[in-house]
Amino acid sequence: MESSFSLAAFLGQFLVGLSRAMILFIVASGLSFILGVLRVPNVAHGSLYMIGAFAAHAIATALGNHPAGFWAAMVGAPLIVGGISLAAERLLFRHLYEREHLMLLLFTFGLALILGDLTKMTWGADYRSIVPPPFLQGSLDVLGTALPRYNLFLLLVGPAVAVALWLVSAKTRFGKIARAAAVDREMVGAIGIHVSWVFAWAFVLGCMLAGLGGALVSPTISVTLGMDHTIIIEAFLIVTIGGLGNIWGALVGSLLFGVTQSLGVLVLPQFAIVFPYLAVVLILTFKPTGLLRSVW
Amino acid sequence: MLWALGLWLALFFAPLAAGRFTVYLLGVILVTGLLAMSLNLLVGHGGAYQFHHGAFYGVGAYTAALLITKTSLPAWVGLAAGPLAAAFAGLMIGSLCIRLNKLYFGMIQISLGSLLWILALRWYDLTNGDDGIHGIPLPEALSGSGSAFTFLLAVVGVCLLAMHRILESPFGTTLRAIRDNPQRCAAVGIHVRRHQLTAIVIATFFAGVAGVLFVVLEGSVFPDMLFWVLSLEIFIMCLLGGWFTFLGPMLGAAIIVLLRTVVGGFTEYWTLILGVVLILLIFFLPEGIMGAGHRLRLYRRRAAGPPSRGGDRAAG
Amino acid sequence: MLQVDGLCKAFGDFQAVNGAWLTVRQGDLVAVIGPNGAGKTTLFNLITGHLQADRGSIRFREQEISRLPAHEICRRGIARSFQIANIFPRLSVFENVQVAVLSAKGLSRHLLHPTRRLVREETEGILERVGLQDRRLDLAGSLSHGDKRILEIAIALGNEPELLILDEPTAGMSPEETAATLALIRRLAREQGLTILFCEHDMEVVFNVATSIMVMQHGSTLVQGPPLQVRADPAVQEAYLGRD
Repeated sequence: MESSFSLAAFLGQFLVGLSRAMILFIVASGLSFILGVLRVPNVAHGSLYMIGAFAAHAIATALGNHPAGFWAAMVGAPLIVGGISLAAERLLFRHLYEREHLMLLLFTFGLALILGDLTKMTWGADYRSIVPPPFLQGSLDVLGTALPRYNLFLLLVGPAVAVALWLVSAKTRFGKIARAAAVDREMVGAIGIHVSWVFAWAFVLGCMLAGLGGALVSPTISVTLGMDHTIIIEAFLIVTIGGLGNIWGALVGSLLFGVTQSLGVLVLPQFAIVFPYLAVVLILTFKPTGLLRSVW
Repeated sequence: MLWALGLWLALFFAPLAAGRFTVYLLGVILVTGLLAMSLNLLVGHGGAYQFHHGAFYGVGAYTAALLITKTSLPAWVGLAAGPLAAAFAGLMIGSLCIRLNKLYFGMIQISLGSLLWILALRWYDLTNGDDGIHGIPLPEALSGSGSAFTFLLAVVGVCLLAMHRILESPFGTTLRAIRDNPQRCAAVGIHVRRHQLTAIVIATFFAGVAGVLFVVLEGSVFPDMLFWVLSLEIFIMCLLGGWFTFLGPMLGAAIIVLLRTVVGGFTEYWTLILGVVLILLIFFLPEGIMGAGHRLRLYRRRAAGPPSRGGDRAAG
Repeated sequence: MLQVDGLCKAFGDFQAVNGAWLTVRQGDLVAVIGPNGAGKTTLFNLITGHLQADRGSIRFREQEISRLPAHEICRRGIARSFQIANIFPRLSVFENVQVAVLSAKGLSRHLLHPTRRLVREETEGILERVGLQDRRLDLAGSLSHGDKRILEIAIALGNEPELLILDEPTAGMSPEETAATLALIRRLAREQGLTILFCEHDMEVVFNVATSIMVMQHGSTLVQGPPLQVRADPAVQEAYLGRD
């Protein structure tokens, strides 16, 4: 009796960890993509994730919590985030490409600070949450544990995003140029491609993934200020253990992070969040370049 | 440098001449300035992406606070242990970060520093979590606000002198060479990583001193001291004051602390203002106030006469 | 003094160095020539430890150095300059050289002596030898391209090397600057008794200055010998000189 209960608990936690990993992956893959192409760790990524969640809530509420509102939010929130990032990139960020690398990095810091407070101004410090459409509510019984349907939905979305991102970067002209720019930007400039626009779209695409992550997470947690801080640190860790700029690395890192954390809950609930960090320290001690190859 | 020494000596009379709040504010500036200057050792002079320097400030403060409140050791032992603990944390995190390129360094550091923040926040039994630790009893000699300030000023003075000495030594010159061109440094026989790691240990030691001084000043510690936004704030102080100069970060700290005190009275959106300040700096004043001043003097001297001693050192 | 045998290095599928060999004797002035992409710079990077070889051996003073890190190789007496101006732009010209001298004397890690009183004479001496003494207080980043390349050599000299490796020392220089630099190299070899290994594009330069020439092609050594012998070598004529 005792052991079957803990097996179920284990399985349940494992699947919760997996679905959490999918959100982490979507956010981290965007971060990793920007890193790969622009070589800038976008610190504002967490804020864009938070804005994605708030925007999703705003859209869903505006449509009266109708099931269609949920889907509109999932599409609309990333677009809003994309718009914000495009504006920031074209108006300010692009003027820094020729400058010292540290300045690019600090710019994203500044953006994170500004966007954080703008979110506070616009939406305030309340807690909010979104209701998913009926067929994603409730639980399914899997191997004796009740699994929220929404988590299963996330388990489908995550791989779909991974495949889509892989298709974009491996099969499209934009993806090929972006990858070439990551390795050798002089060369790409020399063959007459407007590198600045390649950077812009890479930046926007990465940021939209943060927005999508925020929208997708909004039914599972309460949307509130401060959710940007933890996610950005987690995404940084995931990207470093996965190998900078490597999308598959981001996937591996997310799985590792999500699963160790949720299994840690079974051992030491108060310090569950410490477990993924310990895993990361171990990995970096023995394999400092990350699990998979960095793109450059 | 003489004016700085004069200013320092003059500040010893501040508790006699100025009101309580002014003296407290001066204390905050000195502590934050020391922290920013210790960071600048690595950023401006070492070229390292030390993005979570605040974590070591927190380690120093928490070590002192915990040793004083949770053990029966004399308070002085707690105060002395803070910087050592910070330097040890610097050694540990530094040796993990140092093995890779700059970018990894910065990102891993933010992450590991945040782990310390999480510990301070979640280990409720030890740290009181979000509430922090208050009413830390200090040694008799430091209990008055005037004597606390005098102690603080003296310690900051000694630290600045030591940092200046270090930066003017071969170690400091080599550190700046590493900042400019690590590959070339390896080619002239310098063990780049060992050198940088030493710099990290030194800088985190001084961050720990600043943390202990915070305890002396406030009598309390908070988990926010280890939060990465604070680290960013001191980074901005370095940038604002002039990160290729010696005293620039102290000036930056003074400006930011005063700005926060003034602005805090009007609005709760302090981070927004901080962000705007940062972006303005990036675009218009990337070498900071003292850096720009130095450049201006250099330019005037060039224009004025023969370039006899045209380009003396950037570190003023 | 330096003996390179069967050295190989690949980047992915590209075999940059593929069976290079090279002999440098005490007092030699050895030039490595070869078309662009022949692997000259890679060879230098392998010798100085900036890259690790896949196969082959590099022996300096009878000791294997191919597995050592760059800073260790430097300590054993090999200093180098780089193809691009590789200096410390925010330090003064004086400090640029001083950093190298301090390192050579094992003083880099001293914490409390003021730098400005240390190794003055050595540093001034080197600056005078290369002719940069008038610019000693200028920021290195503000020098002209030619002066930056000279400063490069001065930094390498600061290491008090036994073997000096120069990667295309005259690249991007005007004809006058090139002539001055070559005179400097020859003077260093003669007066300081330095052994010098360099690579160069300009054939005239090479045959005038070098006492021994090694020809590289597609990452391999074609031949090494005195200038006259290399000039007469049929393989070299065909592969390289014949096209001129």
